[in-house]
Amino acid sequence: MSFADLLAPEVSTAITLAVYALAGAMGLMGMLLSRASLRRAACILAAAAFACQTLILALGAHKMHPGGLTLGAYFQMLAWFVLLCALALWLRFRQETPLIFASLFGLILFLLSAPWLGQAVPLPASLKGPFFALHIGSLFLSLGLLALSFVAGLLFLFLERRIKSKQRMSGIWLDLPALAVLDKINAICALAAFPLYTLGIVAGIFWARPVFGSALSGDPKEVVSLLVWLLLGILFHNRLAKGWKGRKPARLAVCIFFLSLFSLVVVNVFMETHHAFVRG
Amino acid sequence: MRQDIVLVGLNHRTADVDVRERFALSEHCAPDTWAIPCVQPLVEALILSTCNRVELLGVGQESEAVREHLLRSWALARHAEPEELAPYVYEYRGAEAVRHLFSVAASLDSMILGEPQILGQLKQAYRKALESRATGVILNRLLHKAFSVAKRVRTETAVAANAVSISYAAVELARRIFGDMPRQKALLVGAGEMAELAAMHLLQAGIEEMVVVNRTHERAVDLAARFHGRAAAFAELAQCIAEADIVLTSTGSTEPIIRARDLRAVLKTRKNRPMFFIDIAVPRDIDPDVNSLDNVYLYDIDDLREVVEENLASRREEAAKAEAILDEEVALFSRWLESLESQPTIVELVRRGEQAVEEELARTLKRLGQLDDSQQAAIAAMAHAIARKLNHAPIMYLKQDGMAREGMPARVSLVRRVFALDAARGRRGRGA
Repeated sequence: MSFADLLAPEVSTAITLAVYALAGAMGLMGMLLSRASLRRAACILAAAAFACQTLILALGAHKMHPGGLTLGAYFQMLAWFVLLCALALWLRFRQETPLIFASLFGLILFLLSAPWLGQAVPLPASLKGPFFALHIGSLFLSLGLLALSFVAGLLFLFLERRIKSKQRMSGIWLDLPALAVLDKINAICALAAFPLYTLGIVAGIFWARPVFGSALSGDPKEVVSLLVWLLLGILFHNRLAKGWKGRKPARLAVCIFFLSLFSLVVVNVFMETHHAFVRG
Repeated sequence: MRQDIVLVGLNHRTADVDVRERFALSEHCAPDTWAIPCVQPLVEALILSTCNRVELLGVGQESEAVREHLLRSWALARHAEPEELAPYVYEYRGAEAVRHLFSVAASLDSMILGEPQILGQLKQAYRKALESRATGVILNRLLHKAFSVAKRVRTETAVAANAVSISYAAVELARRIFGDMPRQKALLVGAGEMAELAAMHLLQAGIEEMVVVNRTHERAVDLAARFHGRAAAFAELAQCIAEADIVLTSTGSTEPIIRARDLRAVLKTRKNRPMFFIDIAVPRDIDPDVNSLDNVYLYDIDDLREVVEENLASRREEAAKAEAILDEEVALFSRWLESLESQPTIVELVRRGEQAVEEELARTLKRLGQLDDSQQAAIAAMAHAIARKLNHAPIMYLKQDGMAREGMPARVSLVRRVFALDAARGRRGRGA
């Protein structure tokens, strides 16, 4: 098999998928069996999967891959942003658990993208330009951060409940990051996500005005996105101004991410919206 | 001849502390008795003496004689009679002795299951035995194996995981809440052995500052000096609580000194930074409702005791897993020990082959007459190669680990009979 064959969309996607699966499986085993070496190996594999995917995206940008914003590409791009944020946090905090969860999330998104594999859907002229790129880039980055604040928030809620109710702490519970670390990850992600989300929405308004004739059209995606933005704003404000910590912001972060998932899956797939992009 | 491993000893299960003190062989209580002289029937020896156990390990050809020698030397060193030791002593021989040593090294036989000190003590005992030149091939291999088994047990099971003392359990919980401790401040309210021990563990975990509050200010000053912290007056308690992340209480108060309603305001001033309360006092110093507040965690003495009990139970479960590792390692070591039995026979087989080659070469070269050096070397190489090939099968038969149906003594005997090694030795003996 030549290098060019390896770069074929089916082959390179299969390789990325396999590395994600290996990272996820190894990470899960490392957590369940309390093996630090397995968890470390899983993080390195997650970094390798991210590198593979970066290569695929770069090739897509150079028109060697079928481009276009199919829902499959949408899922893959989200996986890339989630991994980007998780790797940055891993380098900052040296905590393996969020990265392991991120690689599992990446694996699921890659599997979901499989039906669209190999579909060449060219990008319509309306979905181009700097505002559109800014709209998509900043929203995806904030979605990646929200995914991680969701993971940290959920782990916080489980671990906190265990400590509060004085239940036995063994195995996986001993390997989780401390409550303070989970809260910090949750805070950093939420605080960074809000300005990015705002930027994404503003850029979207600038892009939508010439394309659709008005900035806001009452589209379901817009309504849900504004609701996400509002909740994210509440979280941002209370974290900074009121010193929210612990359970409350963790719960809110979980809710915001579920709402984002609803927007991503239900609105995009099952509802009439001009944000459905291109259905292959 | 086969060398046997014998272990005699007493520990916290078989002897009370006064008996253990009476027969201890540590450097402190009996510096001149550290080493047991390796004279017949003893070939190798090692003494392990800690506060919870005294064990003597010996190697020699006759296990009964080795056992008696060890007990006699031990009693002599402590100016006692061997009979005085008898009621407290256990003994193991061969594979059982190996298994017991592995179990001790892995801390499966310790009073506190999984405690880490015993491995260091065993290493020190081995170092002493090495310095006294009391160890040989068998004990060197056995001790190194014991160290690696201990490491394996620690890595592959959770026998050493989870705190098993109340004070350490409190510190472990603090780690689950705060992670690393260098930025945390602790407050010790009152005094008491357990609270002070927990404070010491917190200090070792690297907390930023320790503040001590006591109704008797002089006592607070004393404790603060011990913990490299600062003392504060009891009237400043509310202020100190607001600044602390971890609060340890152990006062003699009959009423709670910290209540949930007081803490609500404190949490606001702290901007909801989490707080961990450890209440070791009976009656309790902290209102149990405190645990219902957001970002506040409260553990009292019963909660901590329960944690310790659960952790001990979990260590016991892990110890059962460790037994399987021990089985495997004991079997491997026993096979190696058994293989030592075949060494003299293998050496003799090879030597006899070489001897036959030399004799036949001398005779043949004499008959062949004029041959140059390279021709002579070629014939010699061929003869040696034939001898090696002929010896290969019986040597492999002796070396095969656990694959032969017969035990090592039967295999050695068979090879010696087939190759008439004992007859050859007899002839040589008569010839001499």
